[in-house]
Amino acid sequence: MIRPMIRPMIRPMIRQSFARAYLGLILIFLYAPIAVMAVMSLNASEFYALPFRFSTEWYERLFTNDEILAAAWRSVWIALVVAVIATGLGTMATLALWRHDFPGKRILQALLFPPIAVPWLITGTAMLIFFFGLGIGRGTPAVIIGHVALALPYVIVTVFARMQSFDRTLEEAARSLGARPMTVARRVILPHAAPGIIAGGLFAFAVSFDQFVVSYFLAEPGDSTLPVLIYSAIRKGFTPEINAVSTLIILLSMAIMILAARYARFGGTR
Amino acid sequence: MTGRVAGGATGSERLRTLALLAPAYLWLTLAVFLPLSAMAFFSLLTDVPFGDREWAFTLENYTQALSNPTYAILLWKSLKLAFWVTVWCVILGFPCAYILARMIKGRSREALFLLVILPFWSNALVRIFSWAIVLRGNGVLDRAVNAVLPWEVKLNLMFSETAMVIGLVHSYLPYVILTTYLSLQAIDDTVIEAARSLGARFPRILWRLILPLAMPGLIAGAVLVFVPVVGSFMEPRLLGGRVGTTYGTLIEDQFVAVFNWPLGAALSFILLAVVLVILAAASPALRKAAP
Amino acid sequence: MSGVRVEGLSKSYGPTKALEDVTLTFPDGGFFGLLGPSGSGKTTLLRAIAGFVQPDRGRIFIGDQPVEGTAVEDRNIGMVFQSYALFPNMTVAENIAFGLEVRRIPPADRARRVAEVLELVQLGPLGNRKPSELSGGQRQRVAMARAIVTRPKVLLLDEPLSALDRALRVEMQIELKRIQREVGITTIFVTHDQEEALTLSDQIGILKDGRLVRHGPPRAVYDDPQDAFTARFLGEANILTGMVEAAGLRLADGTLLPGITSAGVALRPEAITVSLDEPASPHRILAHLRQRIFSGAMGTCILDWQGQTLKLTAPDRALGDLPESGGPMVWLSWAAGAALPLRDPP
Repeated sequence: MIRPMIRPMIRPMIRQSFARAYLGLILIFLYAPIAVMAVMSLNASEFYALPFRFSTEWYERLFTNDEILAAAWRSVWIALVVAVIATGLGTMATLALWRHDFPGKRILQALLFPPIAVPWLITGTAMLIFFFGLGIGRGTPAVIIGHVALALPYVIVTVFARMQSFDRTLEEAARSLGARPMTVARRVILPHAAPGIIAGGLFAFAVSFDQFVVSYFLAEPGDSTLPVLIYSAIRKGFTPEINAVSTLIILLSMAIMILAARYARFGGTR
Repeated sequence: MTGRVAGGATGSERLRTLALLAPAYLWLTLAVFLPLSAMAFFSLLTDVPFGDREWAFTLENYTQALSNPTYAILLWKSLKLAFWVTVWCVILGFPCAYILARMIKGRSREALFLLVILPFWSNALVRIFSWAIVLRGNGVLDRAVNAVLPWEVKLNLMFSETAMVIGLVHSYLPYVILTTYLSLQAIDDTVIEAARSLGARFPRILWRLILPLAMPGLIAGAVLVFVPVVGSFMEPRLLGGRVGTTYGTLIEDQFVAVFNWPLGAALSFILLAVVLVILAAASPALRKAAP
Repeated sequence: MSGVRVEGLSKSYGPTKALEDVTLTFPDGGFFGLLGPSGSGKTTLLRAIAGFVQPDRGRIFIGDQPVEGTAVEDRNIGMVFQSYALFPNMTVAENIAFGLEVRRIPPADRARRVAEVLELVQLGPLGNRKPSELSGGQRQRVAMARAIVTRPKVLLLDEPLSALDRALRVEMQIELKRIQREVGITTIFVTHDQEEALTLSDQIGILKDGRLVRHGPPRAVYDDPQDAFTARFLGEANILTGMVEAAGLRLADGTLLPGITSAGVALRPEAITVSLDEPASPHRILAHLRQRIFSGAMGTCILDWQGQTLKLTAPDRALGDLPESGGPMVWLSWAAGAALPLRDPP
């Protein structure tokens, strides 16, 4: 009597195994090159020659390479500034978009798409032209302006998603108890939005730190950001220190995104 | 419960809303919309209007752009590249999204989903670079294949169209998986059960139910891959070498090498027009995909 | 056309026993209602018959074929889900035709049968609409049509009417009954609404905690619940318990109910008569009238007796001048046969 009951279960079990295998292959495809790069960054050989000999030489050299260090520092600093500005502007805009229905709201929401949907090549070159016309030209201020514009949609979408789970009656209760709008915003709305804001800030940091195309056009040739520096180094013929710094960047980006996911997701399901 | 206030807002509320929205949208105007318009203006000039250079209005940039066969060839090459990258992303990405959305349940699903999406959020440049390491002659891939196969194979995939496609698919695959996953997840389980109760087996359910219902997500993903790839230059340069000239690299050259900004602007604008046409064509599907 | 039979069906999810040794026969062509509180296992039983749930032990027969080893797709069933589960990307006609397509019925026959069943459920002109354009009641009918057009051996309905509002539900109950009569398929449906079960079923089965507690024709089960749970679940009941003596049942207040051999009886509220004067028959008790509620044609009395709350319903006229609250002691009496014996008092 047991056997007939197993038959309908076998086909799905075979399917499950194939499914897991496929998923495994995709994950290997996605992570293998990164893993290779990380491993090679610890290989003593300068030309990726095997056999593999462990060495932290390239990381040590990295920390004496002033050019790379300067670019890294500039990228981090820019990303921090961008994160702060974008989160501030984005949160304010989201609060307005979330609370009210007004004519033109749809258009405003649609206007958030161009920075993401339009290829960064076009946006970057357009910014270059415009900033030159305005007299801002190239350089760190231009980069910051550009990055904030690119990061804004991500912040808004993230905070907006978080606000969808806000119970409006909480706000009404606060107002019925006599709280003024500022107090309500500060003590009722913002605490709920906080995980979304943090996630949005982390997204903004990541978007700015990893940004290549727009930085490529807007950065001053001497004072470039880290991705731009890596790009030129690769085109000239890469040194293994690039390998090391690249591994570090990838680990940093992933760490930031895992953090952001925790805030974006768990903030939403609570 | 969304927190929307319907009907007419009071005067002070309207002012407050405006104050909240203004900074962000002003910034976007300054940094994105005005520049894009400026680019249109620029494309009609003979030379940059900076400093003391002579400039005048002209359509010559456009005539040059549209008549030069090289430019058309490059645009076509970019479109083809985008097409193939999109196709591969969809073929590889749909099963992955399906497995994640409908075959894995519970906690492992979220973790696996995050694992798949994570590379997408890391530095694109570095990821392309990592492929360069893997694909180069005598690189890791070559040696791995040679270790497995009994005869000597020189793969040397680097600096080829294949390398560009691989790198770009690697970059954008998670995007397609994400949008398709969202669409698939929204499909009600009982609808599938109903189909099974009527006697349908998996192939029919896939073809008649799952694919149609996942289509908005698939199309959204495809568009969001196609558009950036058409304008890509970094990936082609790094992985394609001499073969890696695209419409994107052409535009890049105008700005960093040749310094013919008006022509660059014109070429950019043509690309923008192509992008807008694609987005417009796909917008019904895109709207259905957005929750 | 075939009946359905389950024998010794058991299913556990970890420590929870969803079904415990359920044996039941569903007569051919009949309308069988599975009734029970949430978690009673009624839905699990239905889904096991459908094939979505694999039982740990037991056998399932559709017609005379054992189907425990058969997949859902091959059991030739028709199922209507609580949410109707219509295919959103297809029209009504395409939804209904789906099962026929699977069975490779040629297009001309398909179209004819779809039209026939649309007429049957009275949705004739709506074939080209999409589910999103239909009302709840219309969607329900499409779900029915889709399930029966393939002429399955058994029709399974999972709380088919619970998503509808009251008035529509009553209307649809009549519709469902009519359709089932015309088509004559063995139909099993699950509900938690006992009134619905009573209206629609030829036979009902009551489940509690995974076990089958009682089954039979609705009137038989109603008139002879045999246990307190069933008495309370199907209809309402006042439970009176006491000590069994040679002469009858001795209640807590000393009253002897002659001729009763069980330790408890159930009294339906509508079977009780109330009066201020002591009735002649021995089947009566004295209780304190706490509250009288007016509900139009019917009236309800809430009474206190021996620490228990009792309830009786009667035409409002029959309650006469009884006050609305803080009332006097009254006599409750009933016919001898109205005291339903209970196997196991609470």
